[in-house]
Amino acid sequence: MTQITLSRRGFLASSTAFTALALAGNLPTAAQAQAEKVLRLRMDGDIKILDPGYMIGGIEIEAQKQCLPFLAQYKRDGNTIGWEPTYYVTKLEQRDATHIDFELAEGFSWSGGHGALKASDVKFSYERMKGTEWGGYFEVLDRVEVTGERTGTIVLTKPFAPFFLVTLCHGPGAILCEKAVTEAGGRFTTQFPAVCGPYLFNNAPGQAANFLPNPEWTGPKPEFDGVQAKIITQVKATELAYEAGELDCTQIDSDAVARYQAGPPAGSELTKAGELNFMWLGMNTEHPKLQDVRVRRAIQHAVDVDSIIAAAYSNVATKSCGIVCPGLIGHRTATKFYTYDPGEARALLSEAGVSGLKLTLRTLNTQQPMLVAQIIQANLGAIGVTLDVIPLDAGPFWEMGMESAGETWKDLELWTMRFGSVPDPYEASQWFVSSQVGNWNWERWTNPEYDTLVEQGIAESDPEKRNDIYLRLQDIMEETGAYVWLCHEPRYYVHRSGINVNVSPSGQQDYRLFTSI
Amino acid sequence: MSGYILKRLGLSAAVILTVLLILFSLLRLIPGNPVTIALGPQATPAAIANYSAKMNLDQPVWIQFATYARNVVTGDLGEDIFTGRKVSTIVGEQIGHSLLLMVAAMGWAIVLGIPLGCLAAVRPNTWLDRITGVLSVGTIAIPSFLMAIWALLILSVQLRWLPAMGAGEPGDITDQAIHLILPAFAVGLGWVGYLARMVRASMLEVLGEPFIRSARAFGLMPRSVIFRYALPVAILPTITLIGMGFGGLISSAVFAEIIFARPGVGKLIYDSVQARNFPIVQGAVVVTTALYILVVLLSDLLVSWIDPRVRHIL
Repeated sequence: MTQITLSRRGFLASSTAFTALALAGNLPTAAQAQAEKVLRLRMDGDIKILDPGYMIGGIEIEAQKQCLPFLAQYKRDGNTIGWEPTYYVTKLEQRDATHIDFELAEGFSWSGGHGALKASDVKFSYERMKGTEWGGYFEVLDRVEVTGERTGTIVLTKPFAPFFLVTLCHGPGAILCEKAVTEAGGRFTTQFPAVCGPYLFNNAPGQAANFLPNPEWTGPKPEFDGVQAKIITQVKATELAYEAGELDCTQIDSDAVARYQAGPPAGSELTKAGELNFMWLGMNTEHPKLQDVRVRRAIQHAVDVDSIIAAAYSNVATKSCGIVCPGLIGHRTATKFYTYDPGEARALLSEAGVSGLKLTLRTLNTQQPMLVAQIIQANLGAIGVTLDVIPLDAGPFWEMGMESAGETWKDLELWTMRFGSVPDPYEASQWFVSSQVGNWNWERWTNPEYDTLVEQGIAESDPEKRNDIYLRLQDIMEETGAYVWLCHEPRYYVHRSGINVNVSPSGQQDYRLFTSI
Repeated sequence: MSGYILKRLGLSAAVILTVLLILFSLLRLIPGNPVTIALGPQATPAAIANYSAKMNLDQPVWIQFATYARNVVTGDLGEDIFTGRKVSTIVGEQIGHSLLLMVAAMGWAIVLGIPLGCLAAVRPNTWLDRITGVLSVGTIAIPSFLMAIWALLILSVQLRWLPAMGAGEPGDITDQAIHLILPAFAVGLGWVGYLARMVRASMLEVLGEPFIRSARAFGLMPRSVIFRYALPVAILPTITLIGMGFGGLISSAVFAEIIFARPGVGKLIYDSVQARNFPIVQGAVVVTTALYILVVLLSDLLVSWIDPRVRHIL
């Protein structure tokens, strides 16, 4: 029988051979990495619909920004969020409240021999959007007048101050190739019919979205030759992937922000993109137990928001005082009608003649909302209110206040809610008008002044006047007693120190504008 | 043999039909209107009516089931809610990754588990047997998702020996193989223990049989007695265990695919449940169930081919 033996000499020889092999195997990779500068990022799911009219949003917008032209893009000036023309245009000017003139830059063409980027493409894209699922962003668009091969005018039906920030800079503002989309049957899903950007899009379902150099691109060369966006659905897994050195930039959770702020991984930095989420505790003003405003006020006074931010958001979220997020016109920095004061809360309940009150709070059954709910439960317990927390799956949660989805809205008492917004206060405010009762205004109050102010805020172009409008509008909301403002959760990205990331305030990464130091 | 095959095929078809019925019923019991979920709460009544008609939801439930079952038989698993792509195409894109992971996981478990079990049986009650026993029970006791996280933290994050995420570059077999090591290790480790225990027990039983004593009495080499006479008989229950274990592998693969961000049917089902994309959940479960039944069928046929006596047991 042959015995396998390993002498010391043999072991050393084998180890050396294996090391040499391993090094040899790595050499081409290292050389290749030097030759091609690839940015490695994370996507939180598969690309589903790239068509701006029918997209889910989020990651699809990231892909659109790399492969399709836009007239405007976000610009950050300190904490203020503004806009600027993209390199696709030589002119983008608001002539008056309802006319925006544009001139496309020369030399940009669509892939696949679909010809030059033309003003007619802008007309096709924007007028097409009106009839799509994202048509709300183009509600005020009347038409696009084509005045030349590369020039045109966007005509609005009425003044709409947020048009640049929420429409032109955002995903719905993507310009499509009329010829290619028409040839594709008018709609598309996971492949662009034609691109006009620095990158081509290559989708590996379930694995990654790859952005490869577009050989026909004549515009400014991006810093990175290619981008690989790996699909990692779990945010905790993405943190591990970053720490394992497999990603150059990724979004992280609040608890990771606190951990990384204390000691980031070697050679890493944190960047805050924006805080366009607003979270609150809502109350159904029509529910028999909550019809008395003093009861609602008592709840407002009883909730310790600072503790919630500390315990559930690791102190990285900004305390909220309204629906308008930090960095936007109309952002509030203080509440007007309540502060955390359990004594006042007890007094108000007593004044209302309420004792032994039992309420329910419905919340999403994920970790953070559950933590928030438990703290509120303890807070209300301290003033003698018994709170039952009802955790819900996303399906029933998001339709519980909808009259069209059943009778749950009648039983709604308290709930925690989180809305995302765009970089203009108009979007956050539109969900609470009278017509939204039974739809998204689950608090079910109406106020004619509020409705008027929302319309005025949209039409007003003077920033100071707009600021006053949105401040007043949030006073009205708070005065109803139906809200305890919780926080604005920031979007944080961890990235290699040598990279300057470019992330829109709503969290979409714009890879073509990433730079390296 | 052909009679046996026919009976087994009939039984498999009955099982698939039962699974279809249960799955169909369960999905209808989940709270939330599928149309609202698909179109969003702000959908217009016209859009809701159109979608309901397209999904057959305006028909009585038994007609819905009959149509669904007929479509499944013809290979039509429906359409993705969001993209309108065929579910069969989407599942087809992912199933290969899952199968590769399962084959790799079971492959290395077989390569390690069967020899370990043999060794333990040949040297019963020795230190080798005891170590094998402790290792087997230990690996069975550790959940695969825990093993996946440990492996990831130690081998990828701390030591950076192996990649943490993904399935490797498409077309680059070496890269794909390297990306397979950690997840296959995590999924397969428990099976090393299972197989070692099963082979040990079977081998001990077979080694005590009269025909083995006769073989030894005729002076055959010990190696020949073990590998030519004992192992082929002892392996039969192991083949059945591997077949039955395919279902367990699928659930382990779900964890591995999520933790290692690998493409695959498990991750597809997980993501689809999160997004309430029921046609994909339905389609993917049907395909994995059919695969499971196919593997069990193949293992049963293999066993019956090796040991004709089992053809009469059904």
